[in-house]
Amino acid sequence: MANNTSTLMRFGKFHRLGHSLTIISFFGLVLTGMPLVFKDYAWGQWLYGVMGGYPMAGNIHRICALLTFVAAFLHFAYLAFESLVRKDRGMFWGPDSLLIQPKDVLNILGDILWFFRLGKRPKFERYIYWEKFEYLSLMWGTLVMAVTGYILWFPVQSTRLIPSSVASYVDLPSIALVAHRYEALLAAGFIFSIHFLHTHMLPENIPTDEAMFTGKIDEAHVKHERGAYYERMKQEGKLEGLRVQPSSSGAKFISRLMGVPLLTVGLLMVGFMLSSVIVSLAGLFVDLTKHLHYDIFSIFAF
Amino acid sequence: MVSLSKTTVGVFKDSKICKLIIISCFISCLIFISSFSSKNLFAQENSDCMECHTDASVVDSKVRVDHVTGEVELVSMVVDEKEYHASAHGGEDFYCIDCHADLEDSEGEHYPNLQPVDCVTFCHDDPAATFLEGSHASLMQEKGVQLPTCKYCHTGQKSKMNTPRADNLEHRGDTIEKCGGCHEAYYRSYRNNLHGQVTAMGYVGLDIATCVDCHGQHTILNSTNQESTLGAENAKETCGKCHPGAGNSFVKHVAHPGYKDVGYYKSALVALKNIRKDPGEIKAIVKSPQTLLTVLFLAYVGLLVVTFAQFGTHMLFSWLGSILDDRKENESDHG
Repeated sequence: MANNTSTLMRFGKFHRLGHSLTIISFFGLVLTGMPLVFKDYAWGQWLYGVMGGYPMAGNIHRICALLTFVAAFLHFAYLAFESLVRKDRGMFWGPDSLLIQPKDVLNILGDILWFFRLGKRPKFERYIYWEKFEYLSLMWGTLVMAVTGYILWFPVQSTRLIPSSVASYVDLPSIALVAHRYEALLAAGFIFSIHFLHTHMLPENIPTDEAMFTGKIDEAHVKHERGAYYERMKQEGKLEGLRVQPSSSGAKFISRLMGVPLLTVGLLMVGFMLSSVIVSLAGLFVDLTKHLHYDIFSIFAF
Repeated sequence: MVSLSKTTVGVFKDSKICKLIIISCFISCLIFISSFSSKNLFAQENSDCMECHTDASVVDSKVRVDHVTGEVELVSMVVDEKEYHASAHGGEDFYCIDCHADLEDSEGEHYPNLQPVDCVTFCHDDPAATFLEGSHASLMQEKGVQLPTCKYCHTGQKSKMNTPRADNLEHRGDTIEKCGGCHEAYYRSYRNNLHGQVTAMGYVGLDIATCVDCHGQHTILNSTNQESTLGAENAKETCGKCHPGAGNSFVKHVAHPGYKDVGYYKSALVALKNIRKDPGEIKAIVKSPQTLLTVLFLAYVGLLVVTFAQFGTHMLFSWLGSILDDRKENESDHG
């Protein structure tokens, strides 16, 4: 019996391709875009220079944006194909869905109880609730970034869409800049801290969760992490169909070789971003309190 | 031989030719002698000045007091010829004494304190006149602020002498800082916008707008003035220099968004306080396109804080939980 060494298929080739495309485009976008937000800091200016400076970094940013569109197009084409041609609606509703299900609400409540040691951790389905949040925020974020990015790319053409009487209240390029900048902070901060720590750097996965690169996952891992999914597969008798050869050590090495530098770059980025935000907030605090003369030694006057 | 000498004597006997030769000899002698006795009969070449002014051991630094601001600075009198030739006045047909006119008759070493260079009277009277016409200059005169001279803005990077050309990158970057030195709030809000973000990185090429590209170079009028470069009619042309086809909606762009500026919120609070006295003030602030930007900005700040606080706590708790669970399992395994 293959008990510990048995391996299951978790992600098909298509999903791994989508993830790789997203990785490449996302890193390109963040590395060329984030310096503009932290323009006052030396690391931002350095990084902008490394990425090719003024016209070059912008062009890389636009190419990566187009790559993101390719990834998004592939995703929606896949959704359409699965639901319309294969008549498989499982991805919209049911245990295999990436959308929030009623059971997820129960899982969240159960997890909160588990945090405070008031119960056992609920058994999760194929996708855990925070993975669903990540997916939905990726969809929402891509939509916002695409729309605002296009407005910033073609400011003259986009402002032609609104009449000038409206434009004196609604300034499209400025709104697009605010949304693009802070949505980017949200997305980059989220992916580089929460997504990395939650999926890749969990105590059992450190340094990377190779499932997204090799597509394969240990059976014991699935049983432990996604109990409900495992039980369901077992009952439906699909477990044997998911069994695959364990990934070779070469594939594992290559996926680490790709994953570890990306993780390092991402964690460094989030470190720089966080420290810069703290410095900015400290500057704001000093600015706000500079007219406040509070003599700490006055307590000795009593 | 004899016949040749005969003809020579014959020519000398011709009094007209003789006179001509004597006069021309005299003049050429005069010219020759004068070139020895004084250099000042003709204008000095730049090389005459450069004999000393390129050698740091001959000329040294000098204390200069700015006659407008009263600032005292130590200035090197050494001329970097390469920098000078790259500057706006570095062409072949410029002479040092064109500007330092009080040295025209001096020779060799000259007295140390020259007159300040007069850019306006003979050469640049047009920009000076338009500068004085602008609301920028007239407002300063009204308020009793000392007007800047040409040299305040048109100053070289190493030496004030090397007047930069208009497309000089250092000059373009320097201009932003010079304008921003007084217009602090506008400087911060410019840096908060697209153009300012890129120029903050040190990329100040002609394709990215600095202060002067929108507000004009010498005739700086308030942007509410219809005749200014940003007046309703002129704005389309001004923006169109870089954004061809800029329309009526495009020129409504908020180039100085104040949503990250404490002063903006302060002025809104003050206006809110005076709502009884002057309800128009708060209306003007709310009605501006800045309001939507501020609301969006604050919403995003809230979203960022909530997201990271919530997911951060979630992650810490789930890490702690799984570590404790693992420990329990191990204990039960061993037990």
